[in-house]
Amino acid sequence: MKTAHEIRPGNVIMLDGSPWVVQKTETTRSGRNAAIVKLKLKNLLLDSGTEQTFKGEDKLDDIILERLDCTYSYFADPMYVFMDEEYNQYDVEADNLGDAAAYIVDGMDDQCQVTFYNGKAISVELPVHIVREVIYTEPSARGDTSGKVMKPATITGGGTVTVADFVKVGDKIEIDTRTGEFKKRV
Amino acid sequence: MDIKASTIANHKHWDIFCVVVDNYGDIGVTWRLAKQLAAEYAITVNLWVDDLNSFGHILPALDPGSTYQTFFDVNIIHWNDSSIEKYTPGVCLIEAFACEIPSSIIEKLINLKQIFPKELPVWLNLEYLSAEDWVEGCHGLPSFQSCGLQKYFYLPGFTDKTGGLICEQNLFDLRDSWQSDKANKMALFAQLGLRGIEVEHRVISVFSYETPSLLALIQWWQTEKSPVHVLIPKGRSLHSLTSILPCSLNELVAGQSIPLDNVTLHILPMTDQQGYDRLLWSCDVNIVRGEDSFLRAQWAAKPFIWHIYPQEDDYHLIKLEAFMQIYCDNLAPDLAKPWCELNLSFNQGNQIDTVNHWQKLEFNHLSLQQHAKKWPMTALNSADLASRLVQFVKSR
Repeated sequence: MKTAHEIRPGNVIMLDGSPWVVQKTETTRSGRNAAIVKLKLKNLLLDSGTEQTFKGEDKLDDIILERLDCTYSYFADPMYVFMDEEYNQYDVEADNLGDAAAYIVDGMDDQCQVTFYNGKAISVELPVHIVREVIYTEPSARGDTSGKVMKPATITGGGTVTVADFVKVGDKIEIDTRTGEFKKRV
Repeated sequence: MDIKASTIANHKHWDIFCVVVDNYGDIGVTWRLAKQLAAEYAITVNLWVDDLNSFGHILPALDPGSTYQTFFDVNIIHWNDSSIEKYTPGVCLIEAFACEIPSSIIEKLINLKQIFPKELPVWLNLEYLSAEDWVEGCHGLPSFQSCGLQKYFYLPGFTDKTGGLICEQNLFDLRDSWQSDKANKMALFAQLGLRGIEVEHRVISVFSYETPSLLALIQWWQTEKSPVHVLIPKGRSLHSLTSILPCSLNELVAGQSIPLDNVTLHILPMTDQQGYDRLLWSCDVNIVRGEDSFLRAQWAAKPFIWHIYPQEDDYHLIKLEAFMQIYCDNLAPDLAKPWCELNLSFNQGNQIDTVNHWQKLEFNHLSLQQHAKKWPMTALNSADLASRLVQFVKSR
């Protein structure tokens, strides 16, 4: 069991007797610091989708499926193709990558985990921390170095991350793929 | 007043569970909702509360030693290990503000699902009020629990795609009638034992958390030309004012007046919810906190400052910003800007900025007053929370 707060895109959970792959997670804060976690889910048996909301500490039954360490190879619309150490290729639907798709870029060497259900590659988990280059962001407005003032930045692959004001174009930044949060400049 | 066990379990009833966290906030919201469901929808409501002593502050007739009581047609049950055994599933089960429902109740529901699945109550988590965008996307979504039961998230909010806001059907008529005659407010002040208040004096109610901003404002009001009366109950707000009080907090008594140059501090007795509404309707400006008094200040159609419940990493400022944005949507920029800056600096405890923005904001400006009067209808949208909630439960 994992708490809803620990669930990540690519995890598979059992709900009402069916396996669901987590396509997207969205954590927000309610009053008094409690977390509310919204999950976008796809039923692996029926191919249907749903959205569910949980308290951050709600327990969810995550199931351990077969996983393989893979690296991203290329995109063949609408499938992302990953490859294991023995050069076997696995196609994963773009929909099943959820938010992770924003971090997939050509030439990336991050070790990903491809999850299989009934022999089919159904989802991909990225490492918790990845490094990407900032390709666009506005110049620092006030020269803030505290890290408390934030601004949007576009990273390689086209995704947007909220970064500290001191981050510049060309900087490499560490991102937490669970939350999409900027961690630090590397 | 005692109630019979059969009243608690008529199978068409609703159960609302509330854990008292902050004395008046959580219980304030659930008590208002329970009363409204009973009065306007003839629903039998069992309100389960873990702390009757705190509840007693806003319902003085409540007996903290009694397990079962009925007021305003709401069954109030002291939530403890013994009373919880009498729980019987009804039409709806509301866990207020994500409070934890006892495992014995969950077991009863699991058993019921196996025998009569259609008889399961609609299980809701009634969440805190927020004006943030994400509320629309989460309101009403299911939450399938690992125990095999379905729960729903019910999120109050300011748009049609949210769960709405608690507001009794006749509230605005009562308010307008009250505010149409200044004699009403003067009578209320007299009834509360507040002396020296003239009709033209500025009267400000304060129900905030601790903040140095409050001290700064009072020190500024001390220098103003016309008299200012600050109505403040014993509690957290006063902790910020110890440096200007003539005695310790323990020595203060309700009804006491403390002259401080141009300011008179009036220590208020605790009041019930109707009394608090009338107080808000009667003051020129209200400083409120949390959720319940925050909403009632909006319904009072008077300018207000919102002291939001502080959260980790200053996350409450995001919630404050979200509210200020929608509140100021139709407010002229020359009023919206200082009003927002005043609220922000008050919440940040910035004394200098709080006083500066207070001075910039013309609380008597006709546009600000008119905006405060129009805002309640804007905020309510098509329907209030109880109305939307009843429809939501029927549709499940």
